[in-house]
Amino acid sequence: MSFGSPYFTLPDFTYHKPRTLRDALELLEKYGDDAKILAGGVGLIAFMKERLVSPSHVIDVKEIPELKRLEYRKGEGLIIGATITFSELESHQVVREKYRALYQAVKLASDSIIRNRATLVGNVCEAIPWVDGPPPLIAYGAEVEIRSLDRVRRVPVADFIKGPVEIDLEPREIVTSIHVPEVPDEAKSGFVKFNIGSEFALVNLAAYLSLNGKKKDVRLVYGAISPKPVRALEAEKILLAEGDMRTLITSAALKASEELEVISDVLASEDFRRHLIKVLTVKLLTELIGGG
Amino acid sequence: MVHKITLTVNGYKRTVEVKDNELLLDVLRDKLKIKGLKAACWRGECGLCTVLLNGKLVKSCLVLAVEVDGSEIVTVEGLSRDGELTELQKAFIEHGALQCGFCTPAFVLASHQLLLENPNPTDEEIKEKLSGILCRCGTYYEIIEAIKSASNFYRKKQR
Repeated sequence: MSFGSPYFTLPDFTYHKPRTLRDALELLEKYGDDAKILAGGVGLIAFMKERLVSPSHVIDVKEIPELKRLEYRKGEGLIIGATITFSELESHQVVREKYRALYQAVKLASDSIIRNRATLVGNVCEAIPWVDGPPPLIAYGAEVEIRSLDRVRRVPVADFIKGPVEIDLEPREIVTSIHVPEVPDEAKSGFVKFNIGSEFALVNLAAYLSLNGKKKDVRLVYGAISPKPVRALEAEKILLAEGDMRTLITSAALKASEELEVISDVLASEDFRRHLIKVLTVKLLTELIGGG
Repeated sequence: MVHKITLTVNGYKRTVEVKDNELLLDVLRDKLKIKGLKAACWRGECGLCTVLLNGKLVKSCLVLAVEVDGSEIVTVEGLSRDGELTELQKAFIEHGALQCGFCTPAFVLASHQLLLENPNPTDEEIKEKLSGILCRCGTYYEIIEAIKSASNFYRKKQR
């Protein structure tokens, strides 16, 4: 994370380690704006060192049993608790076999030592445009579950992330889990990104395709190209049409590279990112459905 | 606030007083005088402060000391027995898998853990597992060779 020169110490704060969700919510009710939730810490501690955030209260939620859930229920889907790490997801059999886009994203995120600490919920809550967690979740239509003392609500990940470091969460609320819907057996999904080593992606892409069921469904979600992950809706339509799959893939990739708003920054120009969108789309879709 | 925390470090119980905002990295190095882990980037990039926390590799610059009260920590100092280098450490020397040596403790610890989990790794698996640790001298090729040559001992241990 290179936001500037690092400080070697953390600002002063009071550390809390609630043992129940209720205790955590009461602390949030009390300290609200002046508190931050700590799970894996790979984001929060780095940001605090850079003085991007300086909360007076840090609430460590790692000992709260409800947040340690990682469950799959047939017909319902996957529930990922707020303290579930990338490594735990990587070694989960259902994630590996059924939620391929999520599996490939968590397996490629950052580096294996960071993945032992980093949580998927933390990754989503940071809402940094170039991280790998959100695109597959949006492709599956996943929702975050949010709690406060008096309310439970669910919001699609696509709406929860409002922009860079901006999420739909009040200071008195906490994200308790992510719910990923069941996917049909015939559906295919995958994730690909362009990056160097463990650096952040210049473009990442999650695809979800259900082409053989009663209702055809295609979602292409691109990250790192704009303030928040976006779907290429026109390109998705092309893939829903009948025709030679290779031709459809080529025109969908071209359409995706043209239809989206793409940023230019110090890491990559807009033109280069558009080129990457095209290349990655062809690569991923060919792997997933190119044979058909 | 000052917290009294107890850690098992390389097999020894250690009790130490820490403040809320102290990093595990600083407590291990400055208060417990464990100097095998190094402080370099302080922001989770270089991996030189990597330790085993309850059996998992973590970068200790991104962990609060107060978070890990009651945990078990292993650093490179905890690998050798009776002052004798391990086969993995000897392999690092034999293959010249270091120049300045600053990253070596982290690489030795992480490759030890890698070989425990997977005693027969491919080059790709080694590169992937160790991608979170940086060697500024660029001895990556030799590190991979050292790990592969020491892997034999880990396979034997498993049998």
